Amino acid sequence: MPTVLIPPPYRGPTQGTGEVEVEGGDVLGSLEDVDRKFPGFLAQVVNEDGAVLPFVKLFKNGDQLDVAEALRTPVGGDDEIEVLAAIAGG
Amino acid sequence: MSGPSGDKLIYVDMTDQSVEIRDFPEEWKLLGGRGLSAKILLAECDPTCDALGPDNVLVMAPGVLAGTAAPTSGRLSVGGKSPLTGGIKEANTGGQPGQHLAKLGYRGIVVKGQPADADKRYAIEVNAEGVQVVAADDHKGKWNYALCMDLHGQYPKTASFITCGPAGEMQLTGASVATTDQDNRYPARHAARGGLGAVMGSKGLKYVAVDPGKASVRQAADREKFGELCKEYTKGYLAGPQMFKTGTSSVVPVANMLHTFPYKNRVEGQSPDASTLEGARINESFETRGGQMHNCMTGCIVKCSNIVHDAEGEYKTSALEFETLTLLGANCAVASWEDVADMDRLCDEVGLDTIETGGAIAVLMDAGQMEWGDADAMRKLIAEIPEGTDRGTAIGNGAVATGKFTGHHRVPEARGQAIPAWDPRPLKATGVCYCTSAMGADHTAGLIVNPGLAPDQFAWEAQKVQLLNAVCDTSGFCQFLQPSLDDIRAFFGALYGEEVTREAIHDQGWQCLEDEWEFNRKAGFTAADDKMADCLGQDAVGAEGAKVVFDVPDDIIQAVFKRMPAQEDLFTAKASG
Repeated sequence: MPTVLIPPPYRGPTQGTGEVEVEGGDVLGSLEDVDRKFPGFLAQVVNEDGAVLPFVKLFKNGDQLDVAEALRTPVGGDDEIEVLAAIAGG
Repeated sequence: MSGPSGDKLIYVDMTDQSVEIRDFPEEWKLLGGRGLSAKILLAECDPTCDALGPDNVLVMAPGVLAGTAAPTSGRLSVGGKSPLTGGIKEANTGGQPGQHLAKLGYRGIVVKGQPADADKRYAIEVNAEGVQVVAADDHKGKWNYALCMDLHGQYPKTASFITCGPAGEMQLTGASVATTDQDNRYPARHAARGGLGAVMGSKGLKYVAVDPGKASVRQAADREKFGELCKEYTKGYLAGPQMFKTGTSSVVPVANMLHTFPYKNRVEGQSPDASTLEGARINESFETRGGQMHNCMTGCIVKCSNIVHDAEGEYKTSALEFETLTLLGANCAVASWEDVADMDRLCDEVGLDTIETGGAIAVLMDAGQMEWGDADAMRKLIAEIPEGTDRGTAIGNGAVATGKFTGHHRVPEARGQAIPAWDPRPLKATGVCYCTSAMGADHTAGLIVNPGLAPDQFAWEAQKVQLLNAVCDTSGFCQFLQPSLDDIRAFFGALYGEEVTREAIHDQGWQCLEDEWEFNRKAGFTAADDKMADCLGQDAVGAEGAKVVFDVPDDIIQAVFKRMPAQEDLFTAKASG
């Protein structure tokens, strides 16, 4: 099954869980799957208009997805979807 | 060949301005930066001394890999007993001096003593011909930018500088040590935390000039392997997401979402002004005003530093960081990144830690002695600090001093140091780091941004990240390059042509933490000091229905001080700070 990899900063809603198996379909469907299991997760990735938040980057099997197409990207098999957000002090 | 050899340590006694060059001990070859500073301080500095007296020792040490071709590896550690916390302190900075010292074969400068005449100013000059202390009275009281402009005219173009602003000369305990960066040679990089600028000032040391001349890159014992490592690591980093290439200021919206973008002296975890403080606004300004991202030191591939211009297109400051936008911005209810940029420049000029200064001004505002969000008043206040006014002196001495000055009880701190942006309430494991690090509330000593972490993981994660960051700050790598212990030991091994095992690198990190804790124990710290300010255990932040305070039990906090068996992730986890 496809898997969504959750970065540490986004593990509040998932209560520490870092990997969630999903049904797949496309990236948005996969993220919605995670949100059904762990409510509050999707709002960290997608805004109210359904667009990826500007500070979030999405990867499929290690390749960064284009922002405009990311949510509609097909997901299946053993695909890994990774969510990343910059964290640093400075 | 056995790698870099013939290295030296510079000892300077400011009492008589004498210089002694000592051989760098062979057995210390894998000690640099923070680890070297801790080793020297524990052996040569009385932990009970007056931090601003002659017995304190100021260490300036590049990391082990500084001066080599390893990417983003030229960081400089500044260490000493902190006049702010009363404990040991290491503050880490970028810029060129770390690279330059290492290329000249100097693994550190150890400054002791104090001039009999407190009005005298001196400088240390380091170049290929040697080291000397010279008079610097002409530069007394100069702000950092004016000082460096003058020094650029006085020294060869190849020179870089470590400088002390007026706050350091006044021995204010929020004072920073500045270093000049690569592109514009401005004093824009700071070893900011813990008041080490005041230690530099207490020794009458206005600046250090390091001229590498034609000194070449330090060569590794196994040149081929070292070269391959540099190439592979750089290629891998550049092929990755490069999360910091738009600057640390781009973290603002994530931090705000996580309720760790504190507002009004941390009564709230989110700011209504996040959208006007975030890095995207700064980067948008590049198009119309100029300004850009750049690397602060030779060989940096992260390039997280922004150069910010004003509305007229003139240079204003660099780098405007997430922490500064938080503490001088949101935490003081300031809404505009441009106002924060002004204050960042002022703090760099005067030589002040922007975190401590922002924390102090927020306490002043919380006490009702300044209006929330009044950026004009803040600018005037920072500018009046060099004049020695009572209020300016309180701010320059940090958040706890400002709490005493105002009689205000609500001071978010740990070990006497203002809490950085990363808030210990939603990020409790980070709070455990603040309580247990010898450095106090310093996110660069241990940052864990994982709000879902289970409490039974706090102690291990806090020990792991503190150990990893201690080794990173010993290596000279920037934490933003995010090296793992496995990465660092591979570079160490190729540099000296020998295997550095996982056990050895684990030992090195643990020994650094132990040296620092031991210094603090000798300074008088006990378990009673391993705590967070009361207000953070009382005033909750977070989403409605899910508000949190810092409530980690003492047994979890104390568990961090006992060495735990290494788990696999100790060696593969990436540094962060």
